[in-house]
Formats: sequence, structure tokens, C-alpha cells
Amino acid sequence: MRAGRQAGVDWRSVGVLYAREVRSALRDRTIVVNGILIPVVLYPLLLWVTFAGVTFVRGQTSDLTARVAVFGLEGRPALRKELEADPRVVLVPASAPGAAAADVKSGGLDAALEIAPAGPAEGPLRVRLTWAGSKERSAAARERLTALLDRVRERTLMREAAARGMDGPAFTLFTLKTRNVATGREMSRFLLGLLLPVLFVVMVSAGCFYTAIDATAGERERSTWETLMTTAAPRSSIVVAKYLYVTSFGFLAGVLNLGAMAVTMRPVTAPLATPSGTGLDFSVPAAGVPVLLAGALALSAFLAAVMMLFAVFAKTFKEGQAMLTPFTLLAMLPAGFLAVPGIELTFPLALVPVVNVSLVVREAITGVFRWPEIAVAAAASALAIGASLRLVVFVLGSEEVATGAVTGGPVAFLGRRLGGRRRPAFGARVQ
Amino acid sequence: MTPLPAAPVAVRGLRKSFFDKGRGEVRAVDGLDFDCARGEIFGLLGANGAGKTTTLRMLATVLRPDGGSATVMGHDVARDPDLVRQSLGFFSSSTALYPRLTARETLELFARIGGLPRERVRGRVEELIARFGIGAYSDTRIEALSQGMKQKVSIARTVVHDPPVLIFDEPTVGLDVLNALDMRKLIAELRSEGKCIVFSTHVMSEAEKLCDRIAIVHRGQIHATGSLRELREATGLHYLEDIFVHSVESAGA
Repeated sequence: MRAGRQAGVDWRSVGVLYAREVRSALRDRTIVVNGILIPVVLYPLLLWVTFAGVTFVRGQTSDLTARVAVFGLEGRPALRKELEADPRVVLVPASAPGAAAADVKSGGLDAALEIAPAGPAEGPLRVRLTWAGSKERSAAARERLTALLDRVRERTLMREAAARGMDGPAFTLFTLKTRNVATGREMSRFLLGLLLPVLFVVMVSAGCFYTAIDATAGERERSTWETLMTTAAPRSSIVVAKYLYVTSFGFLAGVLNLGAMAVTMRPVTAPLATPSGTGLDFSVPAAGVPVLLAGALALSAFLAAVMMLFAVFAKTFKEGQAMLTPFTLLAMLPAGFLAVPGIELTFPLALVPVVNVSLVVREAITGVFRWPEIAVAAAASALAIGASLRLVVFVLGSEEVATGAVTGGPVAFLGRRLGGRRRPAFGARVQ
Repeated sequence: MTPLPAAPVAVRGLRKSFFDKGRGEVRAVDGLDFDCARGEIFGLLGANGAGKTTTLRMLATVLRPDGGSATVMGHDVARDPDLVRQSLGFFSSSTALYPRLTARETLELFARIGGLPRERVRGRVEELIARFGIGAYSDTRIEALSQGMKQKVSIARTVVHDPPVLIFDEPTVGLDVLNALDMRKLIAELRSEGKCIVFSTHVMSEAEKLCDRIAIVHRGQIHATGSLRELREATGLHYLEDIFVHSVESAGA
């Protein structure tokens, strides 16, 4: 026998219950730390530590002297002078090119140069550079030697051209120069686009994770579930208030994280910008802000509904964590792939929950707006949110879940429902 | 003017079964009939597992009846659960308070959920704080209160929206003698205000001292109902404990 008429949503009750949820949450250390402090502080801090670490390691490598064995340098005074003048290169004696290659492989040497004997002194240079790509020191040595040899080659060509009464480019016939037309702002947005969507999903998930458990399993653990269920508030209002609470904390975590990252990206990435001289500018395009906010809202609304769907079966906070963790990891998985450059928002991807919002967010950061695909993503998200919410209402409408007598997780519950056995196994609670 | 229903709580042929893996279908409540009037404490007396809590949870619309009917202030528990909940206050060992709210915030919350107009909330809360002697710790969080203090706040929470019907499910479980005494005194006061109170217990002395009428419940059925005097006359026994054993054994015979 089903309960009879259910009153519609009473928004006054929703407001009162929502305020209670938020007030309690703001007094809970776990929720405040994970839902507010970590999004604002921890991830920018982690990024700063990572970038500073990378910069430090690079600095250490650049300060190291490259140990180089050179063969066939006799009769090449200009090249010898150039090599000996570079303070970051030290010439190391070696018996034979074969032995030098083995030394490079083992790390005893950073690189070896073999200059082929070809004709008269200062004539054409044919050089073979041996290095080990698996070693940071060797890679750095290769970069230095290549740059040094380019300079020698350039000077040699200019000298030969002058001897023939020609200018340099006419003499070399074919020259290639590359030019990066991307501005500092565009480069910054590209970097943000790679980084932020993943953190964004992580943060929204974290914001929903603890609050979804707090609003369901937490109520059971504290024995306040039945207190709430016997109040005059319509059940629909209770569900709506809890859902809005979880959604708003997910949204808050996502927005705080985006804001904190946007504000701190410049100082965090400053060590990277300095060597290239590129002026990085991490401001998000104005048109992207509403899209980002809408994305945060859609993602948190979807994750809140799905997480509540799982957490409502848990009786304790620990059980809730165990039930939600696999789903949270699953939600982060597609976002991880988005760190790969080249993936764009297409119509098929716009239909995939989490992925669609992450892609919209990434493109919005870089100033790209594919409105037809964004519309499809919005519609798909709305459908997914609606379906998840209907499931939440369906599950909470069941007596065994509403009374906290449910055993097992969502799969066991659905199995019982589909198997037609509707009565809960909670004879032990009869008094 | 709409006439008020005769009995604020009326239960007729109420049934509820559960499925248990080991025992199969278990009839927790099997055709219960009783009424509770204004200004009356009606006690459900029974051992653990007799069906008392299941009955009270159906009255509070936590559980849905499988059959029969129950009305609270004329509202059917199955058809109008929201209206039923507006008319009652439910107190049991499983209705705890929010630990991170203060006593005052708790009362304000439940007054507002209970539908008390906003302008009346503050006055009502202050009235209950004074009446239940909560003032000294009204701004302390629930998590920091002793068990006895929590029970007082919990009773105040149950009555804060001034419902005509109150349900107390073993309210003195876990309380020491003095706190249990306080609790019984408060419930008796509520009766004198005209509240209709349905009360469950397995403590004979509690039922003797507090209840106007007692129903002896065993295996989901009522085996005897009446005032203590009526039960004594019907059985020829003086002590409620003896009356209870007699009724239960007669049922098993």
C-alpha cells in the first residue's frame, strides 16, 4: 500500500530546511575543509609547489656542466675555441667513439661529438652528436651543443658568403625561421584549458561528496533522519532542500576553485614564464564567465543527484564514503582524458555527462564557444539531472529507504524492486 | 463551523507485516483497534517486539499500513500523511537532535517546520525555554549537552509547534531515575493542557503511574484495554505486572 496524496513542494519549508543544512555544514570541519578551504587554498598551493619543483629541477640541470667527449677536433680551431669558451661545456678525454657512446649510455658522459675528417682544415663540417634521451643531463647537453653548433654553422656560412661577395640568405638558398603568433594571453588560456577542467570536476565532486553523505547517511548516523521524517514538512520539500544543499556546495567548491586558480595562476606559473619571456595573462574572457558558472551549476546539479542516489543507501558516514568513492573516481576518469590536447566539443561528446560540461568549460576558458554543441550539452545535462532526480525521488519514496531499514546498496535495492519483493526485511526493528 | 472529530486518534483494524529472510512474513501489527481522547494518555504496554513501535510509526506516517485505518485529527495516515504530521509531535529514542545546532536554534527550526507563523516563533521558543528549564544552556550546541538536557530539549522540540496529538515511544529509555521522573512529570503536564497522548512502554510502573487507559499488546494484537481499575476488575488482579502476564498467557492459551 503506497502512501496517499503527497503534497507538492512547500518552498517555505525548503527554505527553512536548506538554511538548517547550510548552518550545520558550516559548523562541520570536514565539510568546511573539503568543500571550501581545499578548493581555495590547497590546489593553487599544490600547483605552485609542482611548478616551483619543476623549475627548481630545471635550474639544477641548467647549472650542471655538460661533460662532452670530442673526436676529430684537430684542425678545427674555430670550433675548439667555441667549445672551450662555453663555461657550461667541459671537454673530457675519451679513447674511442665506441667507448664514448657506451659512456654516454651509462651516464659517465653527457654527450659525444664526432667530427668527420673531410678535406682541408676549416672545410665542410660533418658532425655526429651522440646523446641519451632517457637522461635529463644528456638532453640538456644535446640542447647546448646543438645551439653552439648552429652558431658556428651560421658564422661559417656568413664568412663563406662574404668571401664570394654574396649576402648570407642568398648564399644559403634555403632558410627556415619559426614564429609563434599566439599572444601571452592566448598561451595562458591554453594552459588553463588543459589544467582547469580536471581540477574543476575534482573540486565539484569534493563539494558534493561530503554534503551528499552528510544529508543522507549522516542523518541516519546521528539518528536525526526519523526526527526529520516525522515533521510537518512534506517529504518532497525535504528532498528538494537536501538536493539544493548538496548542489550549492558542489557549485560553491567549483566556483571557488576556478576563482582561486584564476587569481593565483600568474604568480604560480611565473617561474615558467620568465625564461621564455612570454607575458602570461590568465584572465578568462568575459563571455566565458556565464558559461563557466552555468557549467559549474550543471555539473554540481548532476553530481549532487547521482551522489545522493548512492549515499541514501548508506547508514553511516563510512558506508557513504565507501559507496561514493568508486563513483567519484569514475566521474573524474573522463575529465582526465581531457588533459590531452586536441579533443574538442563535438555533438557525440556533448551527450556524455561530465565530459560535455568539462569540454564546454575548457573551451570557454580559451574563448571558444560552439553554441550548437553547447546547446546539446545543456540539453543532455538537463536530461541526465532530471533522470537522476527522478531516481532519487523514487528511491526515497520507498518505505525501506525512507525508514533507513534498507539493506545493501542500489543494486540490491533495484534487484528487489525488479524482483517484485517490495517488503523490507526489517523484522528486527519491530517492537 | 466544521465539527471536531470525536477522538483525535482513532485506529481500526490496523495491520502491518514485514518480510524477514529467516522467518518469512512477520505480522508485526495484526488488527489493532483503539482511540485516544483529548486530555488522555493512552498507553501501549508490551514486551519488546510486541508491535508498539510499529503501531506508533504508522501513526506518525513513517510506515504505511498494510490494512485497516488510522486517523489523527480526522486525517488518514495513508491518504494525508502531510496533514497527519502537521497535527502531531513524535518522540522516540530514534528521534535525535541535530548536534551542531544550539538548543534555541533547534526549537526555532522545528517551530518553523511545524508551521508556526514567523512572528510567533520567538515568543513560543522563549516560553518553552522557560517552561522546560533550558535557559542555562539554550545557546549551547546539542552535542555538548548531557543526556538529560538533550531529553528536555527533545520534548520541547516535540511540542514546539503546539500539536494536539503527541506520540511518545518509550521516552524514558536510557534515562536515570531523576530524569525519567522529570520526563513523566512533563508528559503529565501536557495531558493537563488537553493534549491527546499515545504512549508506549514496557515498564509496568510507568504505565501504572502515567496512563489513563492501557492496552496490553502482544504479538501485534491488543489483549486487554481499559483503565487500571477496569483491568483490575476484569482480571481480579491488583498489580499491573500480574495483569499483563495474565493477559499474555490467556492469549497464548
